[in-house]
Amino acid sequence: MLTDILITTLINASVYAMLATGFSLIFGVARIINLAHTAFYMLAGYFIFSFTTVLGLGLLPAMLLSIALVVVIAVLSYRILIDPMREHEAAVLIITVALAMVFQELMLVFYGGHFRSVPQLVSGYVTVLGVRVSSQYVVTIGALVAILAAVWLVLMKTRLGLAIRATAQDREIANVMGMDVSLISTVTMAIASAQAAAAGALVAPLFILEPRMWLYPLTIVLAIVVLGGIGSLKGSIIASAIIALSETLVTFLLPSGAFLKGAFSLGVMIVVLLIRPEGLFGVSFEGER
Amino acid sequence: MDSAFFEIEGLVKRFGGLTAVDGVSLSVDMSEVVGLIGPNGAGKSTLVKLAMGLLRPDRGSIRFRGREITGLPPWEIVNLGIAGTFQNTRPFRRMPIIANVMVPCLAPRARKRGEWVKRIEAKARDALEFAGISDLALEPASHLSHGDLKRLEMARAIATEPDLLILDEPFGGLNPSESELLAKSIKRLHKGGRFGRLHSEGVAMIIIDHKLSDLLPIVDRVIVMHFGRVIASGLPQEVVNDPQVIEAYLGREEVEGDGHPA
Repeated sequence: MLTDILITTLINASVYAMLATGFSLIFGVARIINLAHTAFYMLAGYFIFSFTTVLGLGLLPAMLLSIALVVVIAVLSYRILIDPMREHEAAVLIITVALAMVFQELMLVFYGGHFRSVPQLVSGYVTVLGVRVSSQYVVTIGALVAILAAVWLVLMKTRLGLAIRATAQDREIANVMGMDVSLISTVTMAIASAQAAAAGALVAPLFILEPRMWLYPLTIVLAIVVLGGIGSLKGSIIASAIIALSETLVTFLLPSGAFLKGAFSLGVMIVVLLIRPEGLFGVSFEGER
Repeated sequence: MDSAFFEIEGLVKRFGGLTAVDGVSLSVDMSEVVGLIGPNGAGKSTLVKLAMGLLRPDRGSIRFRGREITGLPPWEIVNLGIAGTFQNTRPFRRMPIIANVMVPCLAPRARKRGEWVKRIEAKARDALEFAGISDLALEPASHLSHGDLKRLEMARAIATEPDLLILDEPFGGLNPSESELLAKSIKRLHKGGRFGRLHSEGVAMIIIDHKLSDLLPIVDRVIVMHFGRVIASGLPQEVVNDPQVIEAYLGREEVEGDGHPA
């Protein structure tokens, strides 16, 4: 059971970390709360379903194509709908929720409310700590961790990453330093949505697809970002692990109360925030000016 | 002359009922160092923000090398060759000093195609060297003293190798020896030459201060603002004796004084 807990925690933690770091990035750089973020995750799953079962593509090409398509949709939504309203925070919230709802309803129209599933990328089992684990789990975890590491490296070691971090810290000053902040925001949107789509694509073979599957992760991502400290990527990753672990523990130790996992993890968040209102790695809202 | 190097014409900026900049026209020639002085609230800093594209004017136009730059976003203005420092220093607090200076080195103006991070870092180091804080390169920006922050601002501004440098109160809060050092590096920058990988060719400057004494040894010409208008312009000695200027400063502080009331 320990191995099961470990594997489930790792899967959920890495999915949440992918979603939450993307959410944090676009929040930091463009100063928008993108409530449609996890809808991109849902879209990627459905695109893979369409490409494999409807068009008969192989799983791997279907995954890559889906991620690319989601990025295009996300960037267009950002440029056309979100960026012009960027300064009006409430409007951005409404627009992004509306966007997520539109995606959800479109999936309902095309695929109905049925549970769908996607074939696995790899079959067979491997033995981890004496327990047989489906290879798909291992591949998913490995790929998620690799992508997270790649995003981290881009942010910390490249010119683009420096530009993104500078813009996230102080958009106005980055602008006065000659950074095209509008372009950087668009690129960040592409990275964040690619992360969400990749997370969706990688878990699609493990999870069940349904049009409302964006809502629960969204709640959890919001909790993680607040728990980790707004604007801290390290905080988001650690908070993802905490929330995923508490979810898994509830599910495994209290199987009849599995529906409480969300409530329990939000409870954990509230307790931490009572002790540290700025979140684990928050910067206690130091003035940007 | 067909068109001035940098030219502001009939610029107006209102904040609610307050007209911060009220029909300002001025021009700066290539390689000229102009001091812009005026009592607090004269509209100097607003003028800088307008010139850098951080604020949009209600009326009037700003031209740089004959090109209309009014309404352009700040980053485009920077890439055309204007850089500025601001009265309130705002470093990227959660980055080391060197990364702070690497950011402007990323601007399209400053970088060559395919340049590696290493080379950008070297260039940033040269800017820090020029500003005199290269020994602090790896410190986080949040640890800097006020004087060093001012130097960091300077390093960030010259990193794009601008043709026009606008310095807003660069001497503010500096002690006499720090002021002297800064004045020296401003002169050195204006004289031009190579500073490591950075190149300066007699950069034109607008230096803002609320008193003239710091500027006297540096500037070619002085423009005086009061209540959003330009009330005098000319050689430093002429301006000091201008009755309107004396009137504007009367009861506040001497034009040449050290900030204490006369």
